[in-house]
Amino acid sequence: MIGVAEAYEAPPARGPWALAWRRLKRDRVALGCGIFLLVLVFAVGPGAPLYERMVGHGPNDPFPYAVSVGLRPAGPFTVTWNTSRLADASPYAFKHKDPPQGTGKTFLLLGADSSLGRDEFLRILYGGRVSLEVAVGAAIVALLIGITLGSLAGYVGGFVDAVISRVTDLVMAFPLLLFLVVIGSVFTYGITQWTFGGVLNQGVFQLIVIIGAFTWFYPARIARTQVQSLRHREFVEAAEMVGARDSRIMRTHLLPHLLPPLLAYGTLLVATNIMIEVGVTFLGAGIKLPTASWGSLLAQTWGSILNPNPYNPATTQPWLTLCPSVAIFLTVFALNIFGEGLREATDPRVVR
Amino acid sequence: MFVYALRRIGIAVVLLWILVTITFVLYLKVPQDPAGFLVDLQHASPQQIAHAHHVLGTDRPAIVQYGKYLDRVVHGDFGVSWATITFFGGQATGAAVGPMVWQAALVTASLLFGGLILLLLIAIPLGVLAATRPRSFTDRLSLALGVAAISTHPLVVGLLLQLFVGNRWKLLPASGYCTVSSPSAQQVQAAKTSFSPPPCGGVGQWAWHLVLPWVTFALFFVALYLRIVRARMLEVLDEPYVRTARAKGASEFRVVRGHALRNAIAPVVTMLAMDAGMAIGIAMYVETVFALPGLGRTLIRAEEGLQGYDLPVILAVTLVSGAAIILFNLVADLVVMALDPTLTRSSRRRLLRLAGRTA
Repeated sequence: MIGVAEAYEAPPARGPWALAWRRLKRDRVALGCGIFLLVLVFAVGPGAPLYERMVGHGPNDPFPYAVSVGLRPAGPFTVTWNTSRLADASPYAFKHKDPPQGTGKTFLLLGADSSLGRDEFLRILYGGRVSLEVAVGAAIVALLIGITLGSLAGYVGGFVDAVISRVTDLVMAFPLLLFLVVIGSVFTYGITQWTFGGVLNQGVFQLIVIIGAFTWFYPARIARTQVQSLRHREFVEAAEMVGARDSRIMRTHLLPHLLPPLLAYGTLLVATNIMIEVGVTFLGAGIKLPTASWGSLLAQTWGSILNPNPYNPATTQPWLTLCPSVAIFLTVFALNIFGEGLREATDPRVVR
Repeated sequence: MFVYALRRIGIAVVLLWILVTITFVLYLKVPQDPAGFLVDLQHASPQQIAHAHHVLGTDRPAIVQYGKYLDRVVHGDFGVSWATITFFGGQATGAAVGPMVWQAALVTASLLFGGLILLLLIAIPLGVLAATRPRSFTDRLSLALGVAAISTHPLVVGLLLQLFVGNRWKLLPASGYCTVSSPSAQQVQAAKTSFSPPPCGGVGQWAWHLVLPWVTFALFFVALYLRIVRARMLEVLDEPYVRTARAKGASEFRVVRGHALRNAIAPVVTMLAMDAGMAIGIAMYVETVFALPGLGRTLIRAEEGLQGYDLPVILAVTLVSGAAIILFNLVADLVVMALDPTLTRSSRRRLLRLAGRTA
């Protein structure tokens, strides 16, 4: 018998993260979505200024030559004059007069964004940056508040638990979107103006704080139940026995158990937050123009397919509704699938 | 049970109070002068502006305004919409907020309840179907479609439905709302004399106009509920009592419907209650898309006014929607109790114990 045991070579022990990575690798769809998200983060992060350098114009630069005399914005793959001034502004001409000699050309990948003729693709990149900033920032705020309060409630129990649970109920019953619209549309000073030295765009921080402050209840509930179930396990009692302080037990023994499910939930939260940002900005209470965000890009021409301009139906440009819609859809879809894959990969109970 | 409900109602009242207080305090800080509703701020004399403030009641200290407002709300008076105030014969009159918000709440309620029913009609059968055939094509397809539906913004879903079903194919009305009650002869006559389109009404027209909003609303939530029904059904179908039922020779339909589904449905109700706040937000998008005069539209209009914000309307909408969410949570708790046999028994026992203690 001893010989058999010696011949059998034990596989190397794997940590939980390595196990999760192995499970995630097997889930092709989720992995693909993860790669897409990485590409997206690169595109809206360092990619946007790089592209801006490449084409040589910014997201807020108007190009009147990319808009027809009838005010119809140009479609995708347009090469237009690189100038912000029209040679003649006569509304009766069929075609703009060419600009003076020596004017260069510039390239608009997805065409012009409106009758102002700004670069739609660049605006989608920068808008995606703003939307993702709001969504990720709010998810981080929600996770921080949720983990802190939830683990506190689960660890201490008793009166603290009761108070935190009541507060959780209160936040849960809050009509968040109504509240966001109520606040956002009238507040144009103070917190709205905070940009932290230009790191964030105007209004981003306000949205982060408000969305985060009203979506922490679910992470808190997850953290609370997890901590409650781990509170009296052997490893926690062993740590208590050797005299570890509460803060140390929470940090080094309990937190590693909380992180995987909450990280997965955080990914799903980012997806929800993108939808919230889009909706709130659409309703005129989020990010203010001229800063682009996916919400404002969608709002700008939303409904023009449905009710074309009665004076000039030819101005309708379906691209402008399609592009931000597809961008939002792909991102949220990838986040949902990836978050779900992450949840299954980090949950040891799931058998696939 | 009774004590429990009483405690919940107590918490609900506190919650509503907090909601109103926060909204009130926020609007004290808004840098817009509500007197703009009554007078032209750029040309009015200081006396006129002061008089406008007096009419609105904003000339008093904030704490007095707040106290007066609470007092009126407790007595069921939500005040007068600032945007509608006119000086008629020297007397300031305006539309009462109460009936206005009540009308809007009815619209939102018909959207939410129809959407809820449609949601359950889609999510529960699909979830059960997916759970009885795990990892099959049906299972995967329904989950994938669900994720696609939740990843599309309701604004976009609504626009697509309007564009194709409403405008191109002309199967259903693309926007607008019809009241449940039929229009009175007076209204019909008034529309005729003013050359406006005839007023629509009646249950059929009402439902006909709400089909697309209902679908938009339900599609957003289907994935979540489909998934939870499926997960719970998979768990429940492994339980010993389901095996017992099968062993006793119950038909598959009877096992799924009678034994498994009843136990799988309780978390769905709890989740519905948790999503109530979210649902009111989604309803706001749907109302915007389909031009339904509901709570969300009312709120947005109260803020979009050029002169400023219509505080009585905003407060009333916040109050009504908060109250609706709380009420829905309460009802959901009671339904969960009714569905769960073990919980009912224990709460009955607790009730008996309480009765013994008080007697």
